[in-house]
Amino acid sequence: MSFEAIVFYSLAALVLLSAVGVVTHRNTVHSSLLLGLSLAGVAGIFASLGADFLFAGQVLIYVSGIAVLIMFVVMLLGRASDLHLRQVNNQWLAALLICCISAVGLWRIASSFRGLPSPGPAKPSTALLGRLMMGDYAVPFELISLVLLAALLGAIFFSHTEKDA
Amino acid sequence: MTLAHYLTLSGLLFLIGIFGALTRRNIIGILMSIELVFNAANINLAAFNHFRHPGGVAGQAVALFFITIAAAEVVVGLALVLAIYRNTDTVYVEEFSLLKG
Repeated sequence: MSFEAIVFYSLAALVLLSAVGVVTHRNTVHSSLLLGLSLAGVAGIFASLGADFLFAGQVLIYVSGIAVLIMFVVMLLGRASDLHLRQVNNQWLAALLICCISAVGLWRIASSFRGLPSPGPAKPSTALLGRLMMGDYAVPFELISLVLLAALLGAIFFSHTEKDA
Repeated sequence: MTLAHYLTLSGLLFLIGIFGALTRRNIIGILMSIELVFNAANINLAAFNHFRHPGGVAGQAVALFFITIAAAEVVVGLALVLAIYRNTDTVYVEEFSLLKG
């Protein structure tokens, strides 16, 4: 087994096992910690695909931003009694059926790409990505900052409390 | 490693995320499952970029936009969860029945 295969399979096992933990764990605090682990594994997958800037962005935004934010909210809203309540609704059998049917379709799509060989080691892509963002993708790049501003204002609006209410 | 390996990984991650979004009772659990689905899509984008277009970075650029959109989504989502929790005093989605009257 080559070094590349060992890296891929260990990262894939990390991502999938911690993702299963996220959706099945009864304690939401543990589930949010496992979410951070799963997102870090996805960052490793990006690194193995040669996407170095995506790796950095994933670690900076997902692992240290979103996962920590979710952890804060879990700890803010959690109660000790939650540990004794059922965390799964009674439709799980139907959900499992939907997942099995989708798995067949996804497997057919994935197996149609089986013969494609790896194009060899990837080059660093950060400089190219920066040139693309300032060139062809300049308009989406500016629009995304508008979206972030809207999200910021929306978060302030929704979490704002009136003093007299 | 072939493209099929990466597509299988992202498909499994997507299915786990969908299963969690359909079955979790806790609204923060549903948000976490949706993050897993976003990550499955990003793995697909980076993998197709690497295998089908080795010299280019367009797939990575789109994945970067997705990460930004996901950050905006989770910020607004968590603010909404906090607002709902303040009104209904629960995080379980079956009990969010304010519109029923």
